[in-house]
Amino acid sequence: MPQIDTLSFIREKFSEFYSRYADKIEPPKSIESREFGFTLFKENVMVRHKGFLRVEDLREFIKRNVPSNAYYSTAYYSTPEAKMDEKGWLGSDLFFDIDADHLPTECKKEHDSWECKKCGFKGKGKAPAKCPNCGSEGFEEKAWPCETCLETARSEAMKLIDMLLCDFGFSLGEVKCSFSGHRGYHIQVENDDFLKMDSAARKEIVDYVTGTGVDAVFHGLEEIREGRAKIIVGPGLGDAGWRGRAARGTYEFLLTATAEDLRKLGLKTSVINEIIENREAIIESWRSHGPWNIVKGLGLGEWRKIVQRGIELQSAKIDTVVTVDIHRLIRLPGSLHGKTGLLKIPFPASRIEEFDPLKEAIAFKGGEVKLYVEEAPMFRLGDEVFGPFEKQTATLPLSPAILLLCKGAAKVIE
Amino acid sequence: MFWRGIRILTLSDIAKYPFLPEAAEEVRRLEFKIEHILEPDYESILSRAERRIIEALTTSPPEVKYDPLKYRDDVEILSFPVAVVLVSALANEYVKRRFALAEARRAYNLLRAEDEEKIIEVAKRFGWRIKASNEKVGHERFNFSIHFTDYLRNASSFHEKEWKLVNRPLAKGEVYLFKQEVARLLQEEIKRYIEAKIDPKIRLMLPEKLLERVEMLKGQYAERIKDTGFTEEDLSSSGVESNAFPPCIKELYEAAQSGRHIPHVGRFALTSFLLRIGMDPNVVVDLFRKFADFNERMTRYQIEHIAGQRGSGTRYLPPKCDTLQTHGLCPGVDDLCRKVKHPLTYYRRKMRSLSVKKAGGA
Repeated sequence: MPQIDTLSFIREKFSEFYSRYADKIEPPKSIESREFGFTLFKENVMVRHKGFLRVEDLREFIKRNVPSNAYYSTAYYSTPEAKMDEKGWLGSDLFFDIDADHLPTECKKEHDSWECKKCGFKGKGKAPAKCPNCGSEGFEEKAWPCETCLETARSEAMKLIDMLLCDFGFSLGEVKCSFSGHRGYHIQVENDDFLKMDSAARKEIVDYVTGTGVDAVFHGLEEIREGRAKIIVGPGLGDAGWRGRAARGTYEFLLTATAEDLRKLGLKTSVINEIIENREAIIESWRSHGPWNIVKGLGLGEWRKIVQRGIELQSAKIDTVVTVDIHRLIRLPGSLHGKTGLLKIPFPASRIEEFDPLKEAIAFKGGEVKLYVEEAPMFRLGDEVFGPFEKQTATLPLSPAILLLCKGAAKVIE
Repeated sequence: MFWRGIRILTLSDIAKYPFLPEAAEEVRRLEFKIEHILEPDYESILSRAERRIIEALTTSPPEVKYDPLKYRDDVEILSFPVAVVLVSALANEYVKRRFALAEARRAYNLLRAEDEEKIIEVAKRFGWRIKASNEKVGHERFNFSIHFTDYLRNASSFHEKEWKLVNRPLAKGEVYLFKQEVARLLQEEIKRYIEAKIDPKIRLMLPEKLLERVEMLKGQYAERIKDTGFTEEDLSSSGVESNAFPPCIKELYEAAQSGRHIPHVGRFALTSFLLRIGMDPNVVVDLFRKFADFNERMTRYQIEHIAGQRGSGTRYLPPKCDTLQTHGLCPGVDDLCRKVKHPLTYYRRKMRSLSVKKAGGA
């Protein structure tokens, strides 16, 4: 059986796609001020410092060159094609990246894998520091866009969107959401107010959404005197900003916290037992804006630890580097992801809860390809489930076939 | 209510806040030109301008005084732009910052005592979106709300926990603040504004006689006019001492030595730190050899870039402590960490205490 060169096959399909659907590529605002970058199939290098005056030119370029990945800058420049120091930075959009790579999901042990570049030793989950077989440190890693990972990313995205709307006061129309085409979501705010904002100010926004440096004592957790007694009061569930978030996170945590969860916070056994026995009463006193210290041993120090855990639950886990970087290149909406053959596809922020990435990002419809699949977990695309596969031939529709090929998990056979 | 917008700032307000656009109007109205400054009629203005600079250099914390009994409003208004011209002509970074800070601190102390209406007027001159508020959060009642971008532009350089946006009441884009806090943020805005006004090129347009006065001023206060910033000598001359590394750098350094994965920000922090304390770029390249993805040409290029030997020639400083925290690179603080905001400051202080110990032991 002669094998068709996998890269040529993928490139051919990408090319066919772009020749029909290049008009789906969405130009960023002020295309003439943006830098563009591309990776090509054959040479594994980034071609960057490209500029386009019109969206037609950009689409034509993509049709002609068929990049494996297409990117544009969140920044606006006076001369986007110049060298980095000479571009003339004019401002940057506010951009957030939520990627399952950064989220601790258990299922990665099931569907992510690695292979030692030197000896070929394989394993599941994230690659270790050193190969247990030969001690070398270079790995080929494979990551799957699985449903659980995508759901985790979605819930982080929802927390972030809620903060952008309620705390930062952006409108739904200003908050742009996209599925990244792989394992996460991109959230971008187009608003002239902070275009010029420097990295230091963006860092403060990052700290805000990730809850970094938040201290409950600035959000109403305190000990006050009431007559002769000392009572502890805290933020209310309906309060605005981190005040309310800290309260809601703590509430959420206490509703279901097990003894083990509480032990992890470093609380004493006696306090843990008190909390678990009086869970209802604590929550009830809280609901009615009563004092927080109704059980023994649960003082300000203990509450601080508990609230800190609540804050963690409410924080949105974003890739911190991306937001702070004001020269970042990000994937172009409407373009194909070279690791999956799925689209980076924009959708209104209001649809975040119902959006189905594994359906709506499908670029290739129909078709039939005969493959030899080395190994792949079970996965869904659209309404169909495929796999699991292990060292076997399979005839698949184009989109799952491309996904397996892009992942390097299969080869085309004719 | 058109008249209110105009009348709300009186002549004495403009004398208090001579950086406002109304003050520039007043200067035009009085037909004052810098070429006339050496004429005897203007001596009181020139000498007040010099006083402003001297006060900035000699008070601690720096603050230009506001003394309406001593200085007439017009002297106060006209002497400010003259002082800006003189500071420009001095062409010294330290004097520029010190003067801007002293003028801004004066404004802060005056603003704290103003009513809400006046503070709003001043803030609006800087384009702030600010409103008087009566919002009660918890049991505290705030006087103002400002847009979060105006807040961040001015507060992001503060290091105290309570100034972090995450520890502030924020709702619908508005940050709630007390009067004194608004005044403090305005101080930053004013400081930056004044710093931006100071342009050493002005020197070329000044009459010789005025430059002589500037030189005299410089001579008189020479010992107070110093250079700022991290100087090369005090960090790089004493050799690299890994015992003085702060915890974050220690951890990154050990990771690099054993070839453990370090994210990009971490590599940048480590490289820029090591170069700044005087490690040879070749030694830094060698440090990265253990990485699985080591590529000599690429690593060398990046290190030379950070060292300022390539590209724009900028020599990069390592990130500050709170930036390292944001990116999860702070492994937790020790006692010395609590007193510093920058890993280089940690290193410098630790070096000092190590050398004191050594000297003491010998």
